[in-house]
Amino acid sequence: MNRRGFLAGGCACCVGGLVPGLAAAQAAWEIPARFARPEAGSDEGGLWSMMDREEVRLRKSPFSLRDPKLQAYVQDIACRLAGEHCPDVRVHLVRTPLFNASMAPNGMMQVWSGLMLRVDNEAQLAAVLGHEIGHYLARHSVERLRDAKSRSAFGMFIGMFGAVGQLGQLGLYAGMFAYSREHETQADSIGVLLMRKAGYAAAEAAKVWENLQLETKARPDGDASRSPFFATHPPAAERQQALAELAQASPGGVANEAPWREGVKPFLRDWLHEEVKRGQHEESLALLGRMIARSPAAADHRWARGEVYRLRAKEGDLDRAVADYLAAIAGGGEPPDTHRGLGMIYRARRQSPEARTSFQRYLELAPEAPDSALIKSYVEELRT
Amino acid sequence: MRTLPIALLFLLLAGCASVAKVESGERSLGERMLVSLDGPWNKVSAPDMGPAEVWTMEGRPVDELLIYSGIKNEQVIHATAMGANRKNFAFRSGMQPDEIVAMFEGMLTRDGSAFKLVKLAPADFGGAKGFRFEYSLTRKVDNVQLSGLGFGAVSSGELFALLYQAPRLAFFPRHQPRVEQMARSARIKT
Amino acid sequence: MRLASSVFAVLAVLLAGVAWGQSKNLAPGFTSLPRGAAVVVMPTDIELFSISGGGVVEPKADWTEAAMQHFKTALRDKKQKLGLRVLELAEKDADELAEVNTLHAAVARAIALHHFGSGALRETQLPTKEGKLDWSLGEPVQAIKKLTGADYALFSWVRDSYASAERQAAMVVLAFVGVGLGGGMQVGYASLVDLNTGQVLWFNPLLRGRGDLREADKAAETVEALLEQFPVAK
Repeated sequence: MNRRGFLAGGCACCVGGLVPGLAAAQAAWEIPARFARPEAGSDEGGLWSMMDREEVRLRKSPFSLRDPKLQAYVQDIACRLAGEHCPDVRVHLVRTPLFNASMAPNGMMQVWSGLMLRVDNEAQLAAVLGHEIGHYLARHSVERLRDAKSRSAFGMFIGMFGAVGQLGQLGLYAGMFAYSREHETQADSIGVLLMRKAGYAAAEAAKVWENLQLETKARPDGDASRSPFFATHPPAAERQQALAELAQASPGGVANEAPWREGVKPFLRDWLHEEVKRGQHEESLALLGRMIARSPAAADHRWARGEVYRLRAKEGDLDRAVADYLAAIAGGGEPPDTHRGLGMIYRARRQSPEARTSFQRYLELAPEAPDSALIKSYVEELRT
Repeated sequence: MRTLPIALLFLLLAGCASVAKVESGERSLGERMLVSLDGPWNKVSAPDMGPAEVWTMEGRPVDELLIYSGIKNEQVIHATAMGANRKNFAFRSGMQPDEIVAMFEGMLTRDGSAFKLVKLAPADFGGAKGFRFEYSLTRKVDNVQLSGLGFGAVSSGELFALLYQAPRLAFFPRHQPRVEQMARSARIKT
Repeated sequence: MRLASSVFAVLAVLLAGVAWGQSKNLAPGFTSLPRGAAVVVMPTDIELFSISGGGVVEPKADWTEAAMQHFKTALRDKKQKLGLRVLELAEKDADELAEVNTLHAAVARAIALHHFGSGALRETQLPTKEGKLDWSLGEPVQAIKKLTGADYALFSWVRDSYASAERQAAMVVLAFVGVGLGGGMQVGYASLVDLNTGQVLWFNPLLRGRGDLREADKAAETVEALLEQFPVAK
């Protein structure tokens, strides 16, 4: 099918009705055939080549998460969503503690560890990936880049700062490059379509955005735009409504929570650690509160929240931290750092016997810990 | 953001900075710290660089020695000119070694770089009870993998510290001994 | 084709004011490569940009593609003239050498900034280097030698921006009113590294308002400029 013809046809269908027309528009839109590589001289071709070069850099980057099993797992989900376009989709996992996923016109898909931390199940991941594939199938990036200012911003964003760009610049340029409201609505719609075709429960899509909003609302300044994802995908209340309606229109499907938990288990502690290290305490507390509500017995989440309280150290926080650490221990399988955190608080409060016991337990569980020498010296001090 | 290619920025920035030689021998750092240098270093000065002295052997894109002398309670430890949107990191007199290291980690990862603590142990520094730490840092802007070494102590509520980082390939091993020597020679006046 | 921007003008004046002797580009004790020396050409890092009428900079991947091809061809021709035994690096080998490559890029930035960067503004020179081109990547470069068998490696990097037609028209108009508009510039370097010791033997920075990598013949001129006085025995 001629690309320009498709664009003209597809968009005319979808842009018009917005929310009420969504379900109807969905029925009218057809998944296009696989895309051919555009000529180098075209605006799209230029973008494609640049993305190819970025993809090479991404592959070589130390920020790339190269675990074959996890990569294959996420690739499989993306593949099932993309259907016939599966051979064109290449998933790259990236170590960055922020919620973000993106798909470039050349098929390069990025999924950041912050996103994988936050989704509760396969269906929620599928919602985000489906949304990105929606942008890809409907050629939104290319449309966006017809606007020179966007093109420049995107180019600066990708070409100069790399696909795994400097975080500071990300916000700035990502904002300038943001998808339009129509694009977002259409991508939502396509995303849900793909989810249902792949057998996932569409109701999970609205939940992802709800959960994200919880976090951004928790920010002291309530400013959502600092998130790279929200900078490129402006959130809007109507979209959540639309997603809920789409879900109602096509009930059924699976969430697959158990396989997802299994799949990310080996990485969870690292990702939680990186989340805590971000130092964005309010957001972390909102996220962890939600995760603990879902699985109250999970030690890792309790430990992580204990760390956040300990680091924030506002009035009453140390008590909350102790409570979380103790809950983690009660749950069993707690990270060794739990005892370290407890030890630090007891030490600060001059509760020497408790501090010593905790530190010793930490050293028992993690004799090779980077700070074992420092902790040993604390234990010695506390003896006297 | 200016429309100049970023490639030019490093050339332009050169105009704002100046580099001076630090001769070997005794050197005062701030009002209360003294070190003894076994060889010369290069000290880089520029407006709005933050409270640390910045030294280098191979040039800032390669290696950097940050020297903190007499940092006071609630003082921000880095430049604040850029990135009004970023979180600031300040020293507090009551900070424990692990908290000071976490503060430096926060500063070093503001741009999205990835930090990993390799070792943290108590150590005398400047004649005061302090600590020594080793870390690795993957620089976000260009993916260079750096190794880092730090020394610190709090004396009379003020922070004294040295941080040195350089690419883990060739450069860090090359200059590490001199940084160790400098740290051993440090004296903090009470 | 391009007028110097006010910024470029300042830099150009400063740079022109310094007569760069041969030695500034050469490591102490090094004069030239023996003829027939085995040199591996590392994949060039090139990006070309366009500056639109309003001064908006955008990358032009098709120009970049073309430039990469022209650069390769021109380099091949030049190698013939220089009488070097040149080896090319396979893409998969380039992956293995990623860390050495990023390391070299950082060293090149340091050399460009501190050794050449501001010419007459001597303050950015590192006093401990005593005005010499004295940087070494050390042992890690032997990984390149191991993979390719070469004794030397040539690295190159170019960032090039061009005024679009609208901008050129705007430049002409505004010039009459006395306003200087940035027309784009070519920035880059070529660097020759000894794969036995890691020493940067020769470094040539490029900073100018002319040059055109989009056309084959003009690209050859850029390669000439980058490899100006490339140190090979006559």
